[in-house]
Amino acid sequence: MPFIMVKHINKTFKVPIKASGIIGTIKSFFNRKYKYIKAINDISFSIKKGEIVGYIGPNGAGKSTTIKILSGILVPDSGEVKIDRLIPYKDRKKYVQEIGVVFGQRSQLWWDIPAIDSFNLLKEIYKIPDNEYQKTKDELIELLNLKDILNIPVRQLSLGNRMKCEIAASLLHKPKILFLDEPTIGLDAVSKKIVREFIKKINKQNNVTVILTTHDMADIEALAKRIILIGKGQILYDGSLSKLKKQYDYLRKITVITKDKVHLQKPYIVEEKTFEEGIEFVIDIRKIEINEFIKLISSKMSIIDIDVDSGNIDELIVKLYEDFKI
Amino acid sequence: MRSYLSYFKLKFITGLQYRAAALAGMSTQLFFGFMYISIYIAFYESGSSNLPMKLDELINYIWITQSFFMLIYAWYKDEEIINMIKNGNIAYELLKPQDLYLMWLHKILGERLSQTILRVLPVILIALILPKPYTLSLKTTLPALTISLIALLLAILLMGVLVTLYHVICMFTLDEKGIIAIIMVAADILSGLVVPIPFFPKYLQNINNFLPFRYISDFPIRLYIGNIPLSEGIISIIVQIVWIIILFALGKILANIAIKKATIQGG
Amino acid sequence: MSLYFKYFKVHLKSELEYKTSFILSFIAQLFTLFSYYFTIICLFNQFSNIKGFTMYDVLLTFGIIQFGFAFCETFFRGIDKFDTLIIEGNFDRLLLRPRNILFQLFCDKLSLIKASKVIETIIVLIIAILNIEVNWNGYRIMTLIFMLFSAIIIFLAILIASASYCFLTIKGLEVRNVLTDGCKDMAQYPIGIFKKGFINFFTFIVPMGLVNYYPFLFLLGKSNNKLLCFCPLLTILYLIPAIWLFYRGLKRYSSIGS
Repeated sequence: MPFIMVKHINKTFKVPIKASGIIGTIKSFFNRKYKYIKAINDISFSIKKGEIVGYIGPNGAGKSTTIKILSGILVPDSGEVKIDRLIPYKDRKKYVQEIGVVFGQRSQLWWDIPAIDSFNLLKEIYKIPDNEYQKTKDELIELLNLKDILNIPVRQLSLGNRMKCEIAASLLHKPKILFLDEPTIGLDAVSKKIVREFIKKINKQNNVTVILTTHDMADIEALAKRIILIGKGQILYDGSLSKLKKQYDYLRKITVITKDKVHLQKPYIVEEKTFEEGIEFVIDIRKIEINEFIKLISSKMSIIDIDVDSGNIDELIVKLYEDFKI
Repeated sequence: MRSYLSYFKLKFITGLQYRAAALAGMSTQLFFGFMYISIYIAFYESGSSNLPMKLDELINYIWITQSFFMLIYAWYKDEEIINMIKNGNIAYELLKPQDLYLMWLHKILGERLSQTILRVLPVILIALILPKPYTLSLKTTLPALTISLIALLLAILLMGVLVTLYHVICMFTLDEKGIIAIIMVAADILSGLVVPIPFFPKYLQNINNFLPFRYISDFPIRLYIGNIPLSEGIISIIVQIVWIIILFALGKILANIAIKKATIQGG
Repeated sequence: MSLYFKYFKVHLKSELEYKTSFILSFIAQLFTLFSYYFTIICLFNQFSNIKGFTMYDVLLTFGIIQFGFAFCETFFRGIDKFDTLIIEGNFDRLLLRPRNILFQLFCDKLSLIKASKVIETIIVLIIAILNIEVNWNGYRIMTLIFMLFSAIIIFLAILIASASYCFLTIKGLEVRNVLTDGCKDMAQYPIGIFKKGFINFFTFIVPMGLVNYYPFLFLLGKSNNKLLCFCPLLTILYLIPAIWLFYRGLKRYSSIGS
């Protein structure tokens, strides 16, 4: 049986419809209408031990509902979830001992005191034996370079340092699975890099399974080999990022600085723009390889400089969302 | 002026959204009214002479304070404004092309009126049909009704400027739990909501006449139920107006000082 | 228990981060209770007794009830403030930890500021005990201790039950005030002074009478039934439906989310 198994889960929420204006408000005061929103519609997938999976989708797609179900906070209306032989929402106490959860926009640290005090309290909450705690703590301090920030009240830390402490806090009890809900939100470039590298490291060293939701595609590119794309409560794509790229990321922008004025009208050229210093091509790499194309243009013109734009994952996602109309 | 009214309207509509809150609030008021009356009945039945209020006056007093409770209690803070002051988001309020003090005053009045409007009628109607001795009686004369309605309107304004003043003071203390909380408790007691003022020791009653608090609830309500003669009412209305002007000016001046301070320090 | 103290230390450290605010709030809390005290003093200024109970009798029942409430507010603040936990979405965090939910709630917030009320009620109790007309003996002292203990238990049960309400909806939380504040305000007086309906309510539905009336009759010597001395202990039974309600609410929460 797979390590994480999700089978045909469904979840519907009932939300009141808010009316506008004074009359509408008074009307709905006496007669409230509701609508039903299918947050999750028949989702199934399985994840192997030690995998890193990027769980992506636009706002309101059902990402956090899924994370809530997987972490045992919510019970699905129907379907089955089994993680490491446990049902998250049934064996809560036993199950949560095995997982770590980081919500990028929430904190599990006590705001007004230094992180180290929170760590010590978490040790008691998770009943971590002294020697094991000491070892894990030292490891995390070393890996995340926490030494100088552990003794400062959390509220005074920068967002990046706080996130490092958050992640460390969620790993103190050596969970087998780590859920990261937008872990890099609001971080600067350096902190993002540190967080990503750290996630990679603990995934490799401790074989921790990581499930990650994010809007930052650079996170996915750096971390996840596999992505699950969800929209309107359904899985739209489940597979490797490289395959997805091949399917959707086939346009390349090539800017050539040249004095020659040439027009190439070829089927693989999607767009051709001439400007003062040179020409800008957008080509379809399914129809022609880049080196072939460069060979061709270098035979047609003298090239002063050339720039190949290596595809943008954000644009890929935009295209994906457009394609699936989500 | 219109832009201030839109704050009023916004708060008013938001207040009406919460159906459950309105029902809960109504039952709270009924329960508390019932409770206070029960305690007083027990006292009155234990016998004593020379009491400053007749039992039926007292019962009317309790029901009217309960039905207008959301409008007249002094222990009130607007969490939205307080949070804004504490977390520094007040800077955004200062970006709006409106006067901060007037904006807050309208917000507070709007919210409190919306909370009141859903309770006044049901509480009064139910209190009217309650069995004796709990029942409310609305018997009054036209002059008494007119003058006490004027007094009530002025009382609402007085409440507004007083409560807004707390929030202005909070801009200096940056914390609503210390001094402001103490003022609020004092205001609650001195406005006669905890114990009707006629039961206070004499010296405290005398001091209280010179403070603004009793003109919010004690005065208009006791005027209506006939515990205060109408002739005295006219004088007290003048006192109400004076207090509204004083507290309004004080709040406005302090708000300006606080804003200046905030802009100099950069928030 | 040791975990509770570890939480306690963390909260203490947090609160002491803001020393001036702590001291000011500590003092402000004294005033909130003062208004109740003031009421009783004012009323007994006009009336000599209430259905045969003197001012010091009432101060004792007042002290016991307020002590129980203040104790819960101080040491089980998390359950008192459960609504904010739900509204801010932080309740999920507790669900992610391998400990009993109710226990975590007790620990989630502790308010040492409210400890000023505990101290204040103890002072009121001492004033009342020094002036009250009671022939103290072993049984009566035990009764007093049971009364204090049951005051804590009954408010704990009420807080748990009203926390369960937040699972249903976070709107109309004032209903909780009816239960906690309303019952508290009434039960400050020996409930025997009220009309029959109220007495039944406070005996069978919210059994405040078990805390401060029936044992009080024994304490004052108005009744000689020694069983009344033990009746405060019955409040422990009241915890059962409260906890049951809480877990039912929890189940609902995890099926509909926040």
